Amino acid sequence: MRQDLIIGIAGAGGDGVVSAGESLITAAALEGFHGLMTKSFGSQIRGGEASCRLRLAPQEVLNPNGPLDVAVVLNWEDFKRFGGELPVEASTIVIYESNTGVAPDKLPLVGVRPAIVFSVPITELAQQHAGTEKAKNIVVAGLLAGWFGIGRASMLAGIRKKFSKKGATVVEGNVRAFQAGLDFAEAHPLKEDRKLPTPPAGRHVKLLTDGNDMCAAAALFAGCTFFAGYPITPSTEIMQFMDREIWKYGGTLLQAEDEIAGLGAVVGASFAGKKAMTATSGPGMSLKTEMLGLASIAELPLVCVNVQRGGPSTGMPTKAEQSDLFQACFSAHGDCLRPVLAPTSVGDMFGTTVEAFNLAEYYQTPVIVLSDQEIAQRKETVDPIDTAKFQIIERRRPTETELTNYARFKLTESGISPISHPGLPGGNYLAAGIEHNELGRPTASGEMHARMNEKRFHKFNPLKSRRDLFLVEGDPDAPIGLVSWGSVAGVAREALRLALREGLHAKLLVPRLMYPVVEQVYQDFFASVKRGLFIEQSFQGQLYRLVRMYVDLPPLVKPLAKSGSNPIQPSEVLERIRDMVAALQGNNNHCHLEPNGD
Amino acid sequence: MTVLEPKPIAKFQAGNFKSDLKPIWCPGCGDFGVVTAVTRALAAIGRPPHEIAFISGIGCSSRIPGYTTAYGFNTVHGRSLPIAQGIKLANPDLLVLVASGDGDGFSIGGGHVAHVIRRNIELTYIVMDNQIYGLTKGQLSPTSQRGRKTVTSSFGSLEEPVNPLLYVMGYGASFVAQGSPADMTGLARIIEEGIRFPGFAFINVQSPCVTYGNEEQQLKAHKGKMQNLETIGHDPTDRAKATELARAYGTQLYTGVLYRNPNPPPTYGEGVTERQQVLGQQAIPRQEILNRFIPQA
Repeated sequence: MRQDLIIGIAGAGGDGVVSAGESLITAAALEGFHGLMTKSFGSQIRGGEASCRLRLAPQEVLNPNGPLDVAVVLNWEDFKRFGGELPVEASTIVIYESNTGVAPDKLPLVGVRPAIVFSVPITELAQQHAGTEKAKNIVVAGLLAGWFGIGRASMLAGIRKKFSKKGATVVEGNVRAFQAGLDFAEAHPLKEDRKLPTPPAGRHVKLLTDGNDMCAAAALFAGCTFFAGYPITPSTEIMQFMDREIWKYGGTLLQAEDEIAGLGAVVGASFAGKKAMTATSGPGMSLKTEMLGLASIAELPLVCVNVQRGGPSTGMPTKAEQSDLFQACFSAHGDCLRPVLAPTSVGDMFGTTVEAFNLAEYYQTPVIVLSDQEIAQRKETVDPIDTAKFQIIERRRPTETELTNYARFKLTESGISPISHPGLPGGNYLAAGIEHNELGRPTASGEMHARMNEKRFHKFNPLKSRRDLFLVEGDPDAPIGLVSWGSVAGVAREALRLALREGLHAKLLVPRLMYPVVEQVYQDFFASVKRGLFIEQSFQGQLYRLVRMYVDLPPLVKPLAKSGSNPIQPSEVLERIRDMVAALQGNNNHCHLEPNGD
Repeated sequence: MTVLEPKPIAKFQAGNFKSDLKPIWCPGCGDFGVVTAVTRALAAIGRPPHEIAFISGIGCSSRIPGYTTAYGFNTVHGRSLPIAQGIKLANPDLLVLVASGDGDGFSIGGGHVAHVIRRNIELTYIVMDNQIYGLTKGQLSPTSQRGRKTVTSSFGSLEEPVNPLLYVMGYGASFVAQGSPADMTGLARIIEEGIRFPGFAFINVQSPCVTYGNEEQQLKAHKGKMQNLETIGHDPTDRAKATELARAYGTQLYTGVLYRNPNPPPTYGEGVTERQQVLGQQAIPRQEILNRFIPQA
């Protein structure tokens, strides 16, 4: 029996589709379920079509997954606009608004005839019980709570709280609308019980948030007191959260006039001694390039979050893609290296952002956090995080002794030099984008340039032993090896679990440190591997290509790479794992040498 | 508002602010005069070098921070203003000077000027205007006169020059002044006034390029045509008159304070301080910040 439930709801802008989804996931989280919710909208600024997808389960939910178990259709035109984002199969339970005038045996779906279909007078029930069409989403919540056993008590409490300001009449109307949904479900029982199993007892209260808010909260936890940025989809919520909160911590926010100025102000704040951050998306990253180079040569700590969307150029602003990896690693001219980290889920965003600040401060460098639209904007339940377990690292300040004849860029054994800041007596120095000597003075000496380059690369050597920034799951000696990152890692993890359950020998490597490429981790992982896949959401398979710059992969390791907005499903990955196992077991003639994906 | 009163603890001489780094400028460059004027102004202000951040972009002019003993940041082309704003907002106690040239400030970095003005961030912005790109050896600049022949305008410039004075007046700058190293006392004084002004201060310095500049742009010529605004009876609080005089950029050489807003708008920093104080009382400890994500029924 399936242990989870995938619900898709679509309607017009004013139908409260997203609000219904949010109420539902909140109620589910309160009752100890795990869940994940994604939203999707038409391109209109206001109104237009809106949809959300929820996946709920008593155990960990790793990705939104594919076809719907339940489709809630408030009107068919809007529903159909979401196409592949809300895929309906024969097994999907379809619940739709009766006043669309569609007969249950004539659903306007192409190539699929769902077996279980409910035509529900949603608007009529809302009118009748709450006296307003606006309660349609409450009726929907009642239907879903009734049929699938999610969040009944919490939903009722939520309705009472949400409408309390509007008076007792409104509260009672909405409670009746919710009850009407429950009653309808009870009067039309499903033949097969699809109620979700109750979450295990002794559960903790979960957190519920999205990747952007989590990122901002983590930054504040890490001690960030300066944020400057320029609004850009899908990263803007980071700036919005910061604007609500950073002042409370003695911090400052600047909405810059452009992307360059945004990172410029962050570079300045870091020079002034503060932990500073910006957030952007692909087009903004393109503009920020010159500042990344400046921060590298001036050795200034900062965190730059790139919430990836489809590219190039304006590309696909509201869709996730993993196609900015090359840019994160290699943009900016000259020889320079900056750490690139990628979170794998909303929960992981916390640790990743804190790590980014720690690396930035410790190594005196810009650090890129490569998030993506899905992690950034999906709501997810997160198990409680014990913040006391996270260490906060501060930049290495000069000692009293070091301040006599202070050398900002001193060539030390580690490559890390003590860093002062304006206001500190004796620490005066010239920071510069121009090559400099140990004192910070401009130089055109080839020898000094070589030594400074060496310093700026050498200082990152300890990163090569950070195995904790990689996740390895599965059978350690498996001949099948998967690699995935970012939001897609959740898809690969689920596929791996399914494969292991089938007795297939496979394993998975998920890097959170994307760059520098830690060769040894990949070499160790691939030692047992005969066939494998890099699973990622980009046309080129950028991680696959990046790793091959540094590591000789077994020839039958290939990319499973798709452009953004073409979801990769666990079932598809599982199918590929089965194929690879079959190929290994079958005759070796079958394993003809295939090109490495070029 | 940060009050930049001289601190009684120490008396500084201009020499305390001059570093031992030898300038790369050509002998006779106007920028030598600017560094001298800046160090004199800083001595008059009386704050120690470590409390001063001197930020620049790229160009001959932008080498200037290294010739002082202040904290310096020689950044990238056109971006001194955004970086300086980050510094000032991150640490409002610092005295932040920004140096730029006509190309750095009004061509590649021109887009930032409007925004620093409307934010009224307390920076003193000194543009060394020589109407030419000197560091790259003599190309057309945004303040070059129409018809000017350079290596990138062999047949004469086809563009009208930017008028830096009118540009900043147009965006509502509250302190606008112009000076020339031909009058060192006057130049040091307007820089000092700019630093003391509570808000963004713009100072255009006609700083001639001895190598690529015309004869009529040299300091010797300045001495003949400079008109001191105080001497000619200009009232710097008269915005309309200041704007009218600003139009004469390129034909007349007015020196002194062109405009000083008697009622400048609040600075960005004042707003920040107030907000931090009010909202600071609502802060939950950083360690508990995730509690805000606990779902509420």
